[in-house]
Amino acid sequence: MPAAVDVSGIRKRYKRTVALDGVSLTVEEGETVGILGRNGAGKTTLAESIAGLRRPDEGTVRVLGLDPVTDRARLRMVLGVQLQQAILHLDLTVIENLRLHRSFYPSGHDPEELLRRLGLAGSRDARFGNLSGGQQQRLSLAVALIGRPRVVILDELTTGLDPEGRRSIWRLVESLREEGVTVLLVSHAMDEVSRLCDRVVVLDAGRTRAEGTPQSLVRDTGAEDLEEAFLGLIGAGPDEIESVIESVEGTS
Amino acid sequence: MTTGSSTYGFEIPTASRPGAAAWGQMILAEARSVIRDTAGLVVPIGLPAVLLLSQAFGTSQESVAEAGDRSVLEVFILPITLVMVVAMVGVVNMPSFLATYRKLGLLKRLAATPAHPAMVLVAQVTVSIVQTVVGLGLALGIVGVGFGLVGPEDAPATLGTLMLVAAAMYSTGMLIGALAPTTNASIALGLLAFLVMGAAGGMFGGTQNLPESMARFGEWLPFGAGLRLLEAAWLGGEIEARHVIALSAAVVLGVASAVRFFRWSR
Repeated sequence: MPAAVDVSGIRKRYKRTVALDGVSLTVEEGETVGILGRNGAGKTTLAESIAGLRRPDEGTVRVLGLDPVTDRARLRMVLGVQLQQAILHLDLTVIENLRLHRSFYPSGHDPEELLRRLGLAGSRDARFGNLSGGQQQRLSLAVALIGRPRVVILDELTTGLDPEGRRSIWRLVESLREEGVTVLLVSHAMDEVSRLCDRVVVLDAGRTRAEGTPQSLVRDTGAEDLEEAFLGLIGAGPDEIESVIESVEGTS
Repeated sequence: MTTGSSTYGFEIPTASRPGAAAWGQMILAEARSVIRDTAGLVVPIGLPAVLLLSQAFGTSQESVAEAGDRSVLEVFILPITLVMVVAMVGVVNMPSFLATYRKLGLLKRLAATPAHPAMVLVAQVTVSIVQTVVGLGLALGIVGVGFGLVGPEDAPATLGTLMLVAAAMYSTGMLIGALAPTTNASIALGLLAFLVMGAAGGMFGGTQNLPESMARFGEWLPFGAGLRLLEAAWLGGEIEARHVIALSAAVVLGVASAVRFFRWSR
Protein backbone atom coordinates (compact mmCIF):
# COMPACT_ATOMS: atom_id res chain seq x y z
CA MET A 1 0.00 0.00 0.00
CA PRO A 2 1.47 3.43 -0.90
CA ALA A 3 2.20 5.84 1.92
CA ALA A 4 -0.59 8.17 2.99
CA VAL A 5 1.87 11.08 2.88
CA ASP A 6 4.88 10.91 0.59
CA VAL A 7 7.26 13.85 0.49
CA SER A 8 10.31 13.53 -1.72
CA GLY A 9 13.23 15.96 -1.71
CA ILE A 10 11.29 19.18 -1.35
CA ARG A 11 13.03 22.51 -1.26
CA LYS A 12 11.48 25.85 -0.45
CA ARG A 13 13.20 29.21 -0.34
CA TYR A 14 11.85 32.58 0.82
CA LYS A 15 14.10 35.18 -0.83
CA ARG A 16 17.49 34.44 0.78
CA THR A 17 16.20 32.10 3.47
CA VAL A 18 16.15 28.38 2.76
CA ALA A 19 13.17 27.01 4.68
CA LEU A 20 13.33 23.43 3.39
CA ASP A 21 16.44 21.92 1.88
CA GLY A 22 15.67 18.55 0.38
CA VAL A 23 13.30 17.10 3.00
CA SER A 24 11.82 13.66 2.41
CA LEU A 25 9.19 12.02 4.57
CA THR A 26 6.71 9.17 4.41
CA VAL A 27 3.76 8.59 6.69
CA GLU A 28 1.88 5.32 6.47
CA GLU A 29 -1.91 5.19 6.65
CA GLY A 30 -3.06 5.31 10.25
CA GLU A 31 0.32 6.42 11.53
CA THR A 32 0.84 9.44 13.79
CA VAL A 33 4.10 11.21 13.00
CA GLY A 34 5.51 14.18 14.88
CA ILE A 35 7.59 16.94 13.31
CA LEU A 36 9.98 18.47 15.83
CA GLY A 37 12.29 21.41 15.39
CA ARG A 38 13.22 24.73 16.86
CA ASN A 39 11.63 27.95 15.61
CA GLY A 40 12.49 28.52 11.97
CA ALA A 41 13.47 24.90 11.36
CA GLY A 42 10.96 24.61 8.52
CA LYS A 43 8.19 22.69 10.32
CA THR A 44 5.30 24.91 9.33
CA THR A 45 6.57 25.27 5.77
CA LEU A 46 6.69 21.48 5.53
CA ALA A 47 3.18 21.13 6.98
CA GLU A 48 1.78 23.82 4.68
CA SER A 49 3.49 22.24 1.66
CA ILE A 50 1.84 18.92 2.50
CA ALA A 51 -1.49 20.74 2.94
CA GLY A 52 -1.10 22.35 -0.49
CA LEU A 53 -0.98 25.85 0.94
CA ARG A 54 2.56 26.34 -0.35
CA ARG A 55 4.09 25.07 -3.55
CA PRO A 56 7.62 23.70 -3.09
CA ASP A 57 10.32 25.06 -5.40
CA GLU A 58 11.56 21.51 -6.00
CA GLY A 59 10.54 17.98 -5.09
CA THR A 60 7.18 16.26 -4.94
CA VAL A 61 4.43 15.90 -2.38
CA ARG A 62 1.68 13.30 -2.56
CA VAL A 63 -1.10 12.87 -0.03
CA LEU A 64 -3.21 9.74 -0.55
CA GLY A 65 -1.60 9.62 -3.99
CA LEU A 66 -2.86 13.10 -4.86
CA ASP A 67 -0.91 16.28 -5.58
CA PRO A 68 -2.05 18.77 -2.88
CA VAL A 69 -1.88 21.68 -5.34
CA THR A 70 -3.24 20.29 -8.61
CA ASP A 71 -5.65 17.82 -6.95
CA ARG A 72 -6.60 20.39 -4.38
CA ALA A 73 -10.37 20.08 -4.65
CA ARG A 74 -10.42 16.32 -4.23
CA LEU A 75 -7.83 16.12 -1.49
CA ARG A 76 -9.61 18.76 0.62
CA MET A 77 -12.54 16.36 0.97
CA VAL A 78 -10.42 14.03 3.13
CA LEU A 79 -7.79 16.39 4.55
CA GLY A 80 -8.19 18.30 7.80
CA VAL A 81 -5.78 21.11 8.61
CA GLN A 82 -5.27 22.98 11.84
CA LEU A 83 -3.08 25.99 11.12
CA GLN A 84 -0.54 27.36 13.56
CA GLN A 85 -2.71 30.42 14.16
CA ALA A 86 -6.34 29.80 15.09
CA ILE A 87 -8.20 31.99 12.58
CA LEU A 88 -11.93 32.00 12.02
CA HIS A 89 -14.63 34.64 11.55
CA LEU A 90 -14.19 36.90 14.59
CA ASP A 91 -17.82 38.04 14.75
CA LEU A 92 -19.38 34.60 14.35
CA THR A 93 -20.16 32.42 17.33
CA VAL A 94 -18.53 29.08 17.99
CA ILE A 95 -21.46 27.10 16.60
CA GLU A 96 -21.89 29.43 13.60
CA ASN A 97 -18.23 29.01 12.64
CA LEU A 98 -18.46 25.26 12.98
CA ARG A 99 -21.70 25.00 10.98
CA LEU A 100 -20.14 27.12 8.23
CA HIS A 101 -17.22 24.72 7.92
CA ARG A 102 -19.46 21.67 8.20
CA SER A 103 -21.40 22.91 5.16
CA PHE A 104 -18.27 22.57 3.00
CA TYR A 105 -18.31 18.77 3.29
CA PRO A 106 -20.87 16.27 1.97
CA SER A 107 -20.69 14.36 5.26
CA GLY A 108 -19.09 14.94 8.61
CA HIS A 109 -19.48 15.25 12.35
CA ASP A 110 -22.49 16.76 14.07
CA PRO A 111 -21.21 20.20 15.16
CA GLU A 112 -22.95 20.05 18.53
CA GLU A 113 -21.47 16.62 19.27
CA LEU A 114 -17.98 17.75 18.30
CA LEU A 115 -18.27 20.78 20.56
CA ARG A 116 -19.20 18.49 23.46
CA ARG A 117 -16.20 16.25 22.76
CA LEU A 118 -13.89 19.25 22.76
CA GLY A 119 -15.38 20.79 25.89
CA LEU A 120 -16.74 23.80 24.02
CA ALA A 121 -20.47 23.19 24.47
CA GLY A 122 -20.65 25.88 27.15
CA SER A 123 -19.17 28.43 24.75
CA ARG A 124 -21.26 27.55 21.69
CA ASP A 125 -22.88 30.99 21.51
CA ALA A 126 -19.75 33.00 22.31
CA ARG A 127 -18.14 34.90 19.45
CA PHE A 128 -14.80 33.56 18.27
CA GLY A 129 -13.14 36.91 18.94
CA ASN A 130 -14.19 36.75 22.59
CA LEU A 131 -12.81 33.25 23.28
CA SER A 132 -9.64 32.60 25.25
CA GLY A 133 -6.59 31.44 23.32
CA GLY A 134 -7.14 27.87 24.46
CA GLN A 135 -10.79 27.90 23.40
CA GLN A 136 -9.86 29.33 20.01
CA GLN A 137 -7.30 26.57 19.63
CA ARG A 138 -9.90 23.90 20.45
CA LEU A 139 -12.38 25.36 17.98
CA SER A 140 -9.65 25.44 15.36
CA LEU A 141 -9.15 21.72 15.96
CA ALA A 142 -12.90 21.15 15.71
CA VAL A 143 -12.91 22.88 12.32
CA ALA A 144 -10.05 20.65 11.16
CA LEU A 145 -12.00 17.53 12.16
CA ILE A 146 -15.55 18.54 11.18
CA GLY A 147 -15.45 16.82 7.77
CA ARG A 148 -14.24 13.47 9.17
CA PRO A 149 -10.85 13.72 7.44
CA ARG A 150 -8.67 10.68 6.79
CA VAL A 151 -5.44 12.70 6.97
CA VAL A 152 -5.03 15.42 9.57
CA ILE A 153 -2.27 18.02 9.83
CA LEU A 154 -2.07 19.63 13.24
CA ASP A 155 0.30 22.58 13.65
CA GLU A 156 0.98 23.51 17.29
CA LEU A 157 -1.92 21.41 18.53
CA THR A 158 -2.05 22.43 22.17
CA THR A 159 -0.46 25.88 22.19
CA GLY A 160 -2.19 28.02 24.79
CA LEU A 161 -4.07 25.17 26.44
CA ASP A 162 -4.06 24.45 30.15
CA PRO A 163 -2.98 20.95 31.33
CA GLU A 164 -6.57 19.70 31.46
CA GLY A 165 -7.29 21.03 28.00
CA ARG A 166 -4.13 19.47 26.62
CA ARG A 167 -5.08 16.05 27.97
CA SER A 168 -8.58 16.19 26.53
CA ILE A 169 -7.12 17.12 23.12
CA TRP A 170 -4.60 14.31 23.39
CA ARG A 171 -7.43 11.83 24.05
CA LEU A 172 -9.16 13.11 20.94
CA VAL A 173 -6.03 12.61 18.84
CA GLU A 174 -5.66 9.11 20.30
CA SER A 175 -9.21 8.37 19.22
CA LEU A 176 -8.29 9.52 15.69
CA ARG A 177 -5.49 6.99 15.67
CA GLU A 178 -7.92 4.27 16.79
CA GLU A 179 -10.13 5.21 13.83
CA GLY A 180 -7.18 4.75 11.46
CA VAL A 181 -6.76 8.44 10.69
CA THR A 182 -3.27 9.49 9.56
CA VAL A 183 -1.97 12.33 11.72
CA LEU A 184 0.94 14.68 11.10
CA LEU A 185 1.67 16.58 14.29
CA VAL A 186 3.89 19.67 14.26
CA SER A 187 4.89 20.41 17.80
CA HIS A 188 7.35 21.86 20.27
CA ALA A 189 5.91 19.86 23.18
CA MET A 190 8.07 16.82 23.88
CA ASP A 191 5.55 15.22 26.25
CA GLU A 192 2.88 15.54 23.58
CA VAL A 193 5.04 14.00 20.88
CA SER A 194 6.21 11.20 23.20
CA ARG A 195 2.66 10.31 24.08
CA LEU A 196 0.94 10.61 20.72
CA CYS A 197 3.45 9.84 17.99
CA ASP A 198 4.50 6.52 16.52
CA ARG A 199 7.43 8.21 14.85
CA VAL A 200 9.26 11.51 15.10
CA VAL A 201 11.10 13.52 12.45
CA VAL A 202 13.55 16.13 13.74
CA LEU A 203 14.07 19.09 11.40
CA ASP A 204 16.91 21.54 11.73
CA ALA A 205 17.67 24.41 9.37
CA GLY A 206 15.37 22.93 6.74
CA ARG A 207 16.93 19.48 6.78
CA THR A 208 15.97 16.18 8.36
CA ARG A 209 18.32 15.68 11.29
CA ALA A 210 16.90 12.40 12.61
CA GLU A 211 13.93 10.10 12.29
CA GLY A 212 12.62 7.24 14.43
CA THR A 213 10.34 6.29 17.25
CA PRO A 214 10.53 8.50 20.34
CA GLN A 215 12.08 5.56 22.22
CA SER A 216 14.70 4.88 19.54
CA LEU A 217 15.73 8.54 19.39
CA VAL A 218 16.24 8.58 23.15
CA ARG A 219 18.10 5.27 23.07
CA ASP A 220 20.31 6.08 20.08
CA THR A 221 21.39 9.45 21.44
CA GLY A 222 21.99 8.11 24.94
CA ALA A 223 19.70 10.79 26.31
CA GLU A 224 17.46 10.55 29.34
CA ASP A 225 14.34 11.75 27.58
CA LEU A 226 13.10 13.05 24.23
CA GLU A 227 13.82 16.67 25.07
CA GLU A 228 17.47 15.89 25.81
CA ALA A 229 17.66 13.76 22.69
CA PHE A 230 16.16 16.59 20.63
CA LEU A 231 18.60 19.16 21.98
CA GLY A 232 21.46 16.82 21.31
CA LEU A 233 20.30 16.12 17.78
CA ILE A 234 20.03 19.75 16.79
CA GLY A 235 23.51 20.32 18.22
CA ALA A 236 22.51 22.96 20.71
CA GLY A 237 25.42 23.99 22.96
CA PRO A 238 24.88 24.93 26.62
CA ASP A 239 24.05 28.58 25.82
CA GLU A 240 21.95 27.66 22.87
CA ILE A 241 20.09 24.99 24.84
CA GLU A 242 18.80 27.69 27.16
CA SER A 243 17.45 29.76 24.27
CA VAL A 244 15.96 26.71 22.57
CA ILE A 245 14.25 25.71 25.83
CA GLU A 246 12.93 29.25 26.17
CA SER A 247 11.58 29.18 22.63
CA VAL A 248 10.01 25.77 23.24
CA GLU A 249 8.45 26.84 26.53
CA GLY A 250 7.29 30.10 25.01
CA THR A 251 5.23 28.31 22.42
CA SER A 252 3.95 25.44 24.52
CA MET B 1 -19.79 10.78 -4.71
CA THR B 2 -16.95 8.32 -4.14
CA THR B 3 -14.45 6.79 -6.48
CA GLY B 4 -13.56 3.19 -6.83
CA SER B 5 -10.18 3.91 -5.28
CA SER B 6 -9.48 1.13 -2.79
CA THR B 7 -5.74 1.74 -2.47
CA TYR B 8 -6.38 2.86 1.07
CA GLY B 9 -8.80 1.56 3.65
CA PHE B 10 -11.46 4.04 2.56
CA GLU B 11 -12.84 5.69 -0.54
CA ILE B 12 -11.65 9.15 -1.57
CA PRO B 13 -14.69 11.18 -2.67
CA THR B 14 -14.59 12.81 -6.06
CA ALA B 15 -14.06 16.53 -6.01
CA SER B 16 -17.28 18.45 -5.74
CA ARG B 17 -17.90 22.16 -5.53
CA PRO B 18 -19.53 23.44 -2.36
CA GLY B 19 -23.29 23.25 -2.86
CA ALA B 20 -26.19 25.54 -2.12
CA ALA B 21 -25.99 24.86 1.62
CA ALA B 22 -22.35 25.99 1.72
CA TRP B 23 -23.13 29.12 -0.28
CA GLY B 24 -26.09 29.84 2.00
CA GLN B 25 -23.95 29.43 5.11
CA MET B 26 -21.19 31.59 3.64
CA ILE B 27 -23.54 34.43 2.71
CA LEU B 28 -25.21 34.12 6.12
CA ALA B 29 -21.79 34.30 7.77
CA GLU B 30 -20.90 37.47 5.86
CA ALA B 31 -24.30 39.01 6.60
CA ARG B 32 -23.84 38.30 10.32
CA SER B 33 -20.33 39.76 10.24
CA VAL B 34 -21.56 42.96 8.58
CA ILE B 35 -24.58 43.28 10.90
CA ARG B 36 -22.44 42.73 14.00
CA ASP B 37 -19.86 45.27 12.86
CA THR B 38 -21.91 48.24 14.06
CA ALA B 39 -19.86 50.96 12.38
CA GLY B 40 -19.67 49.07 9.11
CA LEU B 41 -23.42 48.57 9.14
CA VAL B 42 -24.61 51.99 10.27
CA VAL B 43 -22.16 54.45 8.69
CA PRO B 44 -22.66 53.65 4.98
CA ILE B 45 -26.43 53.58 5.38
CA GLY B 46 -26.97 56.02 8.23
CA LEU B 47 -24.54 58.82 7.38
CA PRO B 48 -25.97 59.58 3.91
CA ALA B 49 -29.49 59.37 5.37
CA VAL B 50 -28.61 61.86 8.13
CA LEU B 51 -27.02 64.22 5.60
CA LEU B 52 -30.11 63.90 3.41
CA LEU B 53 -32.40 64.71 6.34
CA SER B 54 -30.30 67.68 7.42
CA GLN B 55 -30.58 69.10 3.89
CA ALA B 56 -34.24 68.14 3.60
CA PHE B 57 -35.48 70.41 6.35
CA GLY B 58 -33.75 73.39 4.79
CA THR B 59 -34.81 72.93 1.18
CA SER B 60 -37.97 70.87 1.08
CA GLN B 61 -40.32 73.76 0.33
CA GLU B 62 -38.46 74.83 -2.78
CA SER B 63 -39.09 73.33 -6.22
CA VAL B 64 -37.42 73.51 -9.60
CA ALA B 65 -39.79 74.37 -12.45
CA GLU B 66 -37.42 73.13 -15.19
CA ALA B 67 -37.26 69.76 -13.47
CA GLY B 68 -40.98 69.04 -13.55
CA ASP B 69 -41.57 70.92 -10.29
CA ARG B 70 -39.52 68.39 -8.41
CA SER B 71 -38.21 69.61 -5.08
CA VAL B 72 -34.68 70.94 -4.76
CA LEU B 73 -34.10 67.97 -2.48
CA GLU B 74 -35.02 65.49 -5.21
CA VAL B 75 -33.17 67.30 -7.99
CA PHE B 76 -29.90 68.13 -6.27
CA ILE B 77 -29.54 66.28 -2.97
CA LEU B 78 -31.10 62.88 -3.56
CA PRO B 79 -28.81 61.87 -6.49
CA ILE B 80 -25.74 62.80 -4.41
CA THR B 81 -27.09 60.75 -1.51
CA LEU B 82 -27.75 57.71 -3.69
CA VAL B 83 -24.25 57.77 -5.22
CA MET B 84 -22.80 58.37 -1.76
CA VAL B 85 -24.47 55.21 -0.38
CA VAL B 86 -23.12 53.10 -3.24
CA ALA B 87 -19.64 54.62 -2.90
CA MET B 88 -19.42 54.21 0.88
CA VAL B 89 -20.41 50.55 0.78
CA GLY B 90 -18.31 49.69 -2.26
CA VAL B 91 -15.19 51.78 -1.74
CA VAL B 92 -14.90 52.06 2.05
CA ASN B 93 -16.82 49.27 3.73
CA MET B 94 -16.41 46.17 1.57
CA PRO B 95 -12.64 46.39 1.02
CA SER B 96 -12.07 46.74 4.76
CA PHE B 97 -13.63 43.30 5.26
CA LEU B 98 -11.47 41.78 2.54
CA ALA B 99 -8.28 43.33 3.94
CA THR B 100 -9.19 42.13 7.43
CA TYR B 101 -9.77 38.59 6.24
CA ARG B 102 -6.42 38.49 4.47
CA LYS B 103 -4.57 40.11 7.37
CA LEU B 104 -6.05 37.62 9.85
CA GLY B 105 -5.36 34.66 7.60
CA LEU B 106 -9.00 33.73 7.10
CA LEU B 107 -8.60 33.39 3.34
CA LYS B 108 -5.67 31.03 3.88
CA ARG B 109 -7.77 29.08 6.40
CA LEU B 110 -10.51 28.66 3.82
CA ALA B 111 -7.93 27.53 1.26
CA ALA B 112 -7.34 24.50 3.48
CA THR B 113 -10.98 23.42 3.10
CA PRO B 114 -13.09 22.38 0.09
CA ALA B 115 -14.36 25.97 0.01
CA HIS B 116 -12.29 28.15 -2.29
CA PRO B 117 -11.45 31.47 -0.62
CA ALA B 118 -13.09 33.21 -3.58
CA MET B 119 -16.39 32.11 -2.00
CA VAL B 120 -15.95 34.61 0.79
CA LEU B 121 -15.32 37.39 -1.73
CA VAL B 122 -18.48 36.56 -3.66
CA ALA B 123 -20.46 36.32 -0.41
CA GLN B 124 -19.11 39.67 0.78
CA VAL B 125 -20.04 41.35 -2.51
CA THR B 126 -23.53 39.79 -2.29
CA VAL B 127 -24.05 41.13 1.22
CA SER B 128 -22.68 44.53 0.20
CA ILE B 129 -25.22 44.68 -2.64
CA VAL B 130 -28.03 43.98 -0.17
CA GLN B 131 -26.62 46.63 2.15
CA THR B 132 -26.53 49.09 -0.74
CA VAL B 133 -30.13 48.32 -1.68
CA VAL B 134 -31.19 48.93 1.92
CA GLY B 135 -29.31 52.24 1.95
CA LEU B 136 -30.85 53.34 -1.36
CA GLY B 137 -34.29 52.28 -0.16
CA LEU B 138 -33.88 54.26 3.04
CA ALA B 139 -32.87 57.42 1.17
CA LEU B 140 -35.74 57.06 -1.32
CA GLY B 141 -38.13 56.26 1.52
CA ILE B 142 -37.18 59.38 3.45
CA VAL B 143 -37.82 61.62 0.45
CA GLY B 144 -40.92 59.68 -0.57
CA VAL B 145 -42.59 59.67 2.81
CA GLY B 146 -41.61 63.06 4.11
CA PHE B 147 -40.85 65.35 1.21
CA GLY B 148 -42.84 64.40 -1.89
CA LEU B 149 -40.93 62.23 -4.32
CA VAL B 150 -41.90 62.56 -8.00
CA GLY B 151 -39.55 59.78 -9.06
CA PRO B 152 -37.29 59.23 -12.05
CA GLU B 153 -38.26 60.31 -15.52
CA ASP B 154 -36.63 57.21 -17.00
CA ALA B 155 -36.84 54.37 -14.46
CA PRO B 156 -34.99 51.70 -16.51
CA ALA B 157 -32.14 54.11 -17.25
CA THR B 158 -32.00 55.09 -13.59
CA LEU B 159 -31.85 51.46 -12.50
CA GLY B 160 -29.22 50.69 -15.12
CA THR B 161 -27.20 53.70 -14.02
CA LEU B 162 -27.29 52.66 -10.37
CA MET B 163 -26.12 49.16 -11.34
CA LEU B 164 -23.27 50.57 -13.42
CA VAL B 165 -22.27 52.96 -10.63
CA ALA B 166 -22.33 50.07 -8.17
CA ALA B 167 -20.17 47.94 -10.47
CA ALA B 168 -17.66 50.81 -10.83
CA MET B 169 -17.54 51.48 -7.08
CA TYR B 170 -17.24 47.77 -6.18
CA SER B 171 -14.44 47.35 -8.72
CA THR B 172 -12.62 50.29 -7.18
CA GLY B 173 -13.23 48.72 -3.77
CA MET B 174 -11.87 45.37 -4.98
CA LEU B 175 -8.69 47.10 -6.10
CA ILE B 176 -8.36 48.79 -2.70
CA GLY B 177 -8.99 45.45 -0.98
CA ALA B 178 -6.32 43.88 -3.17
CA LEU B 179 -3.70 46.54 -2.45
CA ALA B 180 -4.28 47.35 1.22
CA PRO B 181 -2.16 45.20 3.55
CA THR B 182 -4.22 45.89 6.69
CA THR B 183 -7.71 46.92 7.73
CA ASN B 184 -6.54 50.40 8.70
CA ALA B 185 -4.75 50.83 5.38
CA SER B 186 -7.89 49.72 3.58
CA ILE B 187 -10.09 52.19 5.45
CA ALA B 188 -7.56 54.99 4.88
CA LEU B 189 -7.26 54.22 1.16
CA GLY B 190 -11.03 53.80 0.83
CA LEU B 191 -11.81 57.09 2.57
CA LEU B 192 -9.19 58.90 0.54
CA ALA B 193 -10.59 57.54 -2.70
CA PHE B 194 -14.14 58.31 -1.57
CA LEU B 195 -13.33 61.90 -0.61
CA VAL B 196 -11.23 62.64 -3.71
CA MET B 197 -13.84 61.17 -6.05
CA GLY B 198 -16.64 62.89 -4.11
CA ALA B 199 -14.99 66.29 -3.91
CA ALA B 200 -14.10 66.30 -7.60
CA GLY B 201 -17.50 64.88 -8.52
CA GLY B 202 -19.75 67.38 -6.77
CA MET B 203 -20.48 65.70 -3.43
CA PHE B 204 -19.80 68.94 -1.52
CA GLY B 205 -21.68 71.24 -3.86
CA GLY B 206 -21.88 72.19 -7.51
CA THR B 207 -18.81 71.47 -9.60
CA GLN B 208 -19.06 74.98 -11.06
CA ASN B 209 -17.28 76.15 -7.91
CA LEU B 210 -14.33 73.88 -8.61
CA PRO B 211 -11.35 74.71 -10.83
CA GLU B 212 -12.34 73.69 -14.34
CA SER B 213 -9.58 71.12 -14.69
CA MET B 214 -10.64 69.45 -11.45
CA ALA B 215 -14.30 69.44 -12.44
CA ARG B 216 -13.44 67.86 -15.79
CA PHE B 217 -11.23 65.30 -14.09
CA GLY B 218 -13.99 64.53 -11.58
CA GLU B 219 -16.42 63.67 -14.36
CA TRP B 220 -14.10 60.83 -15.39
CA LEU B 221 -14.05 59.35 -11.90
CA PRO B 222 -16.83 56.98 -10.75
CA PHE B 223 -18.50 59.45 -8.37
CA GLY B 224 -18.71 62.36 -10.80
CA ALA B 225 -19.56 60.25 -13.82
CA GLY B 226 -22.16 58.32 -11.82
CA LEU B 227 -23.73 61.48 -10.44
CA ARG B 228 -24.02 63.16 -13.85
CA LEU B 229 -25.45 59.99 -15.35
CA LEU B 230 -27.94 59.52 -12.51
CA GLU B 231 -29.10 63.15 -12.72
CA ALA B 232 -29.64 62.76 -16.46
CA ALA B 233 -31.61 59.51 -16.07
CA TRP B 234 -33.66 60.83 -13.17
CA LEU B 235 -34.61 64.12 -14.82
CA GLY B 236 -34.87 62.82 -18.38
CA GLY B 237 -31.77 64.65 -19.61
CA GLU B 238 -29.24 63.58 -22.18
CA ILE B 239 -27.17 60.53 -21.31
CA GLU B 240 -23.59 61.42 -22.21
CA ALA B 241 -21.49 58.61 -23.60
CA ARG B 242 -18.33 59.80 -21.82
CA HIS B 243 -19.94 59.15 -18.44
CA VAL B 244 -20.90 55.61 -19.46
CA ILE B 245 -17.37 55.11 -20.81
CA ALA B 246 -15.82 56.44 -17.59
CA LEU B 247 -17.85 54.07 -15.42
CA SER B 248 -17.24 51.11 -17.73
CA ALA B 249 -13.51 51.85 -17.74
CA ALA B 250 -13.52 51.94 -13.94
CA VAL B 251 -15.11 48.47 -13.92
CA VAL B 252 -12.61 47.00 -16.39
CA LEU B 253 -9.53 48.63 -14.85
CA GLY B 254 -10.63 47.92 -11.27
CA VAL B 255 -11.37 44.25 -11.85
CA ALA B 256 -8.27 43.65 -13.98
CA SER B 257 -6.01 45.37 -11.44
CA ALA B 258 -7.63 43.61 -8.48
CA VAL B 259 -7.13 40.23 -10.14
CA ARG B 260 -3.51 41.15 -10.88
CA PHE B 261 -2.64 42.36 -7.39
CA PHE B 262 -4.90 40.29 -5.12
CA ARG B 263 -3.12 38.04 -2.62
CA TRP B 264 -4.89 35.33 -0.66
CA SER B 265 -2.50 35.60 2.28
CA ARG B 266 -0.06 38.13 3.71
